[in-house]
Amino acid sequence: MAVKTQVGGNLRILSSALILLSAVSTLRAADTYYLTVAGLGGEQEYEQRFAGWASEIDKILKGEPNAKITTLSGAQATRANIESRLAEIAMQAKADDNFVLMLIGHGTYDDNEYKFNVPGPDISATQLGALLDKIPARQAVIDMTSASGGAIPILQKPKRVIITATKAGTEKNATVFARYFVEALRDPAADADKNEIITALEAFRYAEGKTAKFYDELKRLSTEHPLIEDTGKGDGVKSATVENGQGMLAGRFALLHTGSAAAIANNPEKQKLLKQKEEVEQQIDELKYRKASLSVADYRGQLSKLLVELAKTQEALDK
Amino acid sequence: MKRTVLILVALPLALMAQLPQPVQECETLRHHGDPAARACWQKLTRSNDPATQAEGLWHIGDFKSANDTFRAVVKMRDKDPAPRVRWGRMFMEHWQNPDAKALFQEAAKLNPDYAPAQLGLALLAGEQFEGEAIKNAEKALKADPKLYEAEELIARVQLEDNNHPKAIEAAQRALAISPEALDAMAVLGSIDLLNDKKESPWFAKVLAVNPTYGNAFAIAAHFFSINRRYEEEIAQYRKALLLDPSLNEARSALGVTLMRLGMEDEARKELETAYNSGYQNPETVNSLRLMDTYKDYVKIKTPRTILMLHKKEADLLKLYFQPEFERALAAYDKKYKFKLSKPVQIEVYPNHEDFAVRTLGMPGLGALGVTFGYVVAMDSPSARKPGQWHWASTMWHELSHVYVLEMTNHKVPRWFTEGLAVFEETAAAPDWGDRLDPGTISAIKGKKLLPVAELDRGFMHPTYPEQVTVSYYQGGQICTFINQEWGYDKLVAMIHDFGDSLTTPQVIEKELQMKPEEFDRKFASWHEPRVKNTVEHYDEWRKRLREMGTLMKDKKWDDAIKEGEAIRDFYPEYVEMDSVYERLADAYTAKGDKAKTQAELERYSKIGGRDPEALKKLSELQLAQGRKKEAAATLDRLNLIYVEDEAVHQRLGAISMDLNNPTAAVREYQAVLAGKPLDPASAHFGLAVAYKAVNRAADAKEEVISALEAAPGFKPAQKLLLELSAKE
Repeated sequence: MAVKTQVGGNLRILSSALILLSAVSTLRAADTYYLTVAGLGGEQEYEQRFAGWASEIDKILKGEPNAKITTLSGAQATRANIESRLAEIAMQAKADDNFVLMLIGHGTYDDNEYKFNVPGPDISATQLGALLDKIPARQAVIDMTSASGGAIPILQKPKRVIITATKAGTEKNATVFARYFVEALRDPAADADKNEIITALEAFRYAEGKTAKFYDELKRLSTEHPLIEDTGKGDGVKSATVENGQGMLAGRFALLHTGSAAAIANNPEKQKLLKQKEEVEQQIDELKYRKASLSVADYRGQLSKLLVELAKTQEALDK
Repeated sequence: MKRTVLILVALPLALMAQLPQPVQECETLRHHGDPAARACWQKLTRSNDPATQAEGLWHIGDFKSANDTFRAVVKMRDKDPAPRVRWGRMFMEHWQNPDAKALFQEAAKLNPDYAPAQLGLALLAGEQFEGEAIKNAEKALKADPKLYEAEELIARVQLEDNNHPKAIEAAQRALAISPEALDAMAVLGSIDLLNDKKESPWFAKVLAVNPTYGNAFAIAAHFFSINRRYEEEIAQYRKALLLDPSLNEARSALGVTLMRLGMEDEARKELETAYNSGYQNPETVNSLRLMDTYKDYVKIKTPRTILMLHKKEADLLKLYFQPEFERALAAYDKKYKFKLSKPVQIEVYPNHEDFAVRTLGMPGLGALGVTFGYVVAMDSPSARKPGQWHWASTMWHELSHVYVLEMTNHKVPRWFTEGLAVFEETAAAPDWGDRLDPGTISAIKGKKLLPVAELDRGFMHPTYPEQVTVSYYQGGQICTFINQEWGYDKLVAMIHDFGDSLTTPQVIEKELQMKPEEFDRKFASWHEPRVKNTVEHYDEWRKRLREMGTLMKDKKWDDAIKEGEAIRDFYPEYVEMDSVYERLADAYTAKGDKAKTQAELERYSKIGGRDPEALKKLSELQLAQGRKKEAAATLDRLNLIYVEDEAVHQRLGAISMDLNNPTAAVREYQAVLAGKPLDPASAHFGLAVAYKAVNRAADAKEEVISALEAAPGFKPAQKLLLELSAKE
């Protein structure tokens, strides 16, 4: 991950971030714990919609290697059941595992506390946070409910990605973000870098883009503005960029594997090629970072060469 | 289209008698264009009588002080309608029509027979092209038969309706009351000019009374404007301003028209001059603001076309607008046997209110497109909800106007050019154009269709809310009838007749060999059977559609289907929200009957259904059956309705490749990329594959590199890159 010294210290950090983003593609997948909860709908239409989305996520995750999946909906989605499962995961998960919590439904916010609406007593962000803190794994909390933006200050923590459907607790209308987040998990288009892994960042970008388009097309005032926060401090952002420092963790956080990358990563015979591939990818990242300082022809020429090299390496890996 | 220039300057002598003597003196000076008028008004500002002082303040342009003074006068004379009317007239001059209306109504309430109050209401109605203008003017005349300004208003309204004889009669009545009725003379002069006389003696008569009465030419400009004769309108405004450079309203109107015709630099100059002189009415301000945004647009030019698109959507829209633009011109060249003399400019606005300002200087326009000679302004597909309208149909409609206006030197009645344009929409494709809507059904039921000789009235001065839409429909049906009974050549001949200044009755008699009354009878007997089924069953259809909705909500699919099938053909043209077709398709889907869902959606699409989700569903069903050509046709049709859907372009790109139509695929993948997709890698890759298929290897390589730049590990793109590189 060395960067040529002439690019300067500040640049070096930024460039490293880019390299980290691409490095995720070949990391071996650890165990991933999933807890998906469809909360209280209040009306039959919402009950069905929330349960339907949770069930769809459950189906998609079934194909995920090393996945430990729990899905709660309807009468099962109680605070007690959520607490109990989170406690179990806290016992089982290790530091290099991943944990993904997905909340679908309605949420409320009273200027101090966010609550996820479930049958029986609601569960608050503070209660959830306390339980999540006991889980040693890297975490992604995808809160797709109304008012979910109100949960960010309570839940944010280093090593935890937080994605919310709304920018604040005051956005109280039912959301469509969940619909597009589910879509992100089944639409190959969400895998923007085509590395056969849908990261939390990719899924967020996909769902955020589709949500914005939904309101734009219908000429409706947008009542939800999804955010992402993964540094453990500060406000959530709409767009994770190198400049605002958000997205590094989310960009490495694999939500779903869609191809054979994981199997290859576990094959010792391919390690040399994998290393070579990583090196070329790294050179591509560095070249991209220097794009502005190069002429278009020079940049495209160098990029073309590196891409051909990478393609040949991949071809060898796939044999 | 404002008429304010017509009504504000000359105060009728009849009304003067009701004003304080010093005000009468100043009005007389003004009426005769005497430069001493200014000093006279100035003097009034020092009057001890507040009502007189208010008049002075108003006429020297100190609206704020005049407003305060009128308020005090009205408070003091709380049972007197007169100061209220004068205050209202001042509000009209200051673009505050709602305030003016409230004051006229208060005055009319205090004294229902107070003629100036009725006249004020008539003028306001006239300014807003409301149907009751004449009715109100007649009320005023009843209260005061010497009120020649009311006759002048009637003359203007009649002329706006293209009814020259009635306009002349009213103007003559005004002149019989007052030989110095300047606006009546201006109306008569305008009629001469509209009839292609180079000069009119009436303007000399105007100038004999008031040598600086530029407003007479502004009145002529107004009539040229509503007859879409913009070049002549501009010439008249210039004459008006030459006589009286302080006519800021005329200057502003000139600026707006110059903007409409695409003469942006000159337009800005006139509008800025008006603005800087204190004339800051909404039209002037809105137009200047809009022109400030022109830097955000790009112009794509060919020898015959200029496409002005907003930068943010130009890459996408040009892919569809440009070919459709060229296709329409080629079709109309042949149909009208006419070649346009210069390029046509189409301006496409992503913000509907910008389009409205571009058109009227004001937001709130209901139209989708407007033609100003060689310039067409229209909404962008992104300006409205998906499926709300058909942009290609609108473009063809407007381009028909360009030809007809040019062929007739803009001398064509509104009903004919609109009717023909409506006809051309469905002639271009049967599923285009507007369908028979509930408002029109209701008008047909209420026998509200107008005689052909009076159809312009339905456009210009509608007497019920839906009348403009109904008139479009009727115009379209009349042209369809003529085409069917006499052939298309008759329609083209009629265009030329109008160009020769023949009136509607004359054209009907010349080309169809019958009086307009007989034509109306024949049209009615052709039209009535065509709509009989729908008109007769409309109420039942509405009631049962609601019942069907309840059945759908209760998921009683079989009952809903039974009901839907029973009523669908009562009103087959209804394809708007909650159409029977879509409901039936939903019910069939719920029952798992794909074949019937597809059949219903095919009916919906064929008759003109525009809902993007329904059309996408149809294409998927067609695709599932292996009917790729039909699926592609459905999505191609959708592209003419709504072009912003990335998924549609992606899908159509793939189907086009399967159908061995890489040229179409290139366009679709270009569209995906232009829409700034969430998955740029796939879009670049799709385009690369399509380029390769049309033997554009270098372009293909550029695109595949772009795909891999976004996603270096994208395996299909890597494979293609190796393949393309191996061939080098």
